[in-house]
Amino acid sequence: MKQFNILMQKEWRENTRNYKIYWIPAIFILLGITEPVVNYFLPQILEASGGLPEGAVFEMPAPTPEQILTAVMEQFQTIGMAVLILAYMGTVAGERKSGTATLLYVRPLSFPFYFLSKWVMASAISLLSVWFGFLGGYYYTLIFFDKVEWSKLLQMVGTYSIWVLLIVSIVVAASAAMPNGGLAAAVTFAVYLVLQLGDGLFGTNWSISPVKLPQYAAAWLSGSPDSASLGGAIGVAALLIFVLFVFGSWASRKNKAKTKV
Amino acid sequence: MSIVEVERLTKRYGQENAVEELSFVLEKGTATALIGPNGAGKTTSLSMLADLLSPSSGTITMAEGLTIGFLPQHPQYFPWLTALEFTEMAARLSGIESKKAKLQSTRTLEFVGLEAAVNKKIGAFSGGMKQRLGLAQAIVHQPKLLLLDEPISALDPTGRREIMNLLKTLQQDTTILYSTHILNDAEEMTDQLLFMKEGRLIEQGSLNDVKNRHAAPQIRIRFPDHNQAAEFIGKLSWEHKIKGDTVFLPVYKNGPSMQQVLQILASEKQDILGIDFQTASLEEIFLKVVAAK
Repeated sequence: MKQFNILMQKEWRENTRNYKIYWIPAIFILLGITEPVVNYFLPQILEASGGLPEGAVFEMPAPTPEQILTAVMEQFQTIGMAVLILAYMGTVAGERKSGTATLLYVRPLSFPFYFLSKWVMASAISLLSVWFGFLGGYYYTLIFFDKVEWSKLLQMVGTYSIWVLLIVSIVVAASAAMPNGGLAAAVTFAVYLVLQLGDGLFGTNWSISPVKLPQYAAAWLSGSPDSASLGGAIGVAALLIFVLFVFGSWASRKNKAKTKV
Repeated sequence: MSIVEVERLTKRYGQENAVEELSFVLEKGTATALIGPNGAGKTTSLSMLADLLSPSSGTITMAEGLTIGFLPQHPQYFPWLTALEFTEMAARLSGIESKKAKLQSTRTLEFVGLEAAVNKKIGAFSGGMKQRLGLAQAIVHQPKLLLLDEPISALDPTGRREIMNLLKTLQQDTTILYSTHILNDAEEMTDQLLFMKEGRLIEQGSLNDVKNRHAAPQIRIRFPDHNQAAEFIGKLSWEHKIKGDTVFLPVYKNGPSMQQVLQILASEKQDILGIDFQTASLEEIFLKVVAAK
């Protein structure tokens, strides 16, 4: 446990001193705000960019606040997840490749704690970023559109957070297993795509598939997802995260010899 | 008392043997120099002892509870940590509790001459400072065994001298195994020599043993010119070598003694510029050993 504290302190210093703790949330806040703001100003934007014939009448149905928040989540699903994957692809692999890990590995290091410290820090910053991002989006939706119940937002963000944790677990475990950050990112993107594709093609009946967590998160806005399916999906996600933790600890120990001496 | 026993240690990469059947013993409180040309397998051997690499075959037996400090050849650091933060982390990861870790870190940084840079970020360190910090992190937890991979090769002559002196201080209660290609320094601090070449141990023993095995000591006499030198050795029946104005007489068991040579010089009224007793340098032996096998 003592080792965990020391390693957490190291991760904390790293993530504050290389500004990850600022710029990752900043990107999510920006993504979150962009959606309601762009939607609100869309008529003016179209007008300013021109191209519409004189006298053209342009009727646009105003999006509902629920639609805006769902769109925010979709932004997080594409750009947001890519940012997280790229930010943490090197968290273990990079240390090995540069050789900074060597001076840790020559000590009686607990690899589960080593992996856990990486996972906790990446998860904390990712969740913080997602939460702030939704908060920003929610605030501007409230100002420009309409109210969404606070409890609905919380349920949505809570459900989506499990999904974020799963993605972070995949990228940190890939970083432990792969020889460098680039490959770790490639593997994570591949897993991400295969999961989405598999679930999309064959998963109609896989109600407990964790890939459906974002869908269930969005479902909170218009009602509530089927609680058995949601519970199942969260359970499967938790199990996968645990498996990834065991695998990641094992892989970081196994790859100890690959650190540059 | 031996604290490390290495037996037939082998590391294979595909078909290649980086280290082959390496066997040696480290006695408590001794300094062992691991020398050999580039690619001899020194770093691989040290990495296995530091438990970074696992051997393909063979065993390493260490005394129970043996603590190890390791300095890699090119230590890499987290640039965003200060020297003190890094050394403290190193100490605590080695099991030193937090208060003591801070105290020992400060002291160790002073010991290696980094007292002015304690709170500086490592990212701003020069090469020499990084080398000193490397030594600091290796000794901060007061290990019983120190493994140093080329601890002085990257330093300028002043820094090299300083670090050698530090190592000599440490040697009093630490067992040291270090690799180097600065043979003058190896000669200065070594109880045991291990010569490696192409992954194999080709020679080992104390400095004197190795020297005696490979090159007999010799008497060196410098004459005013080559003619006088040549004339003088014409009168001798001993084995000799002549190089310009200098004559070398190898000293074997029944070979010439200094006294005998001086007597002949005196009786011949031969003028000389200098005479001394010479043992081969480690460098000469190194070249000989490496070329021979």
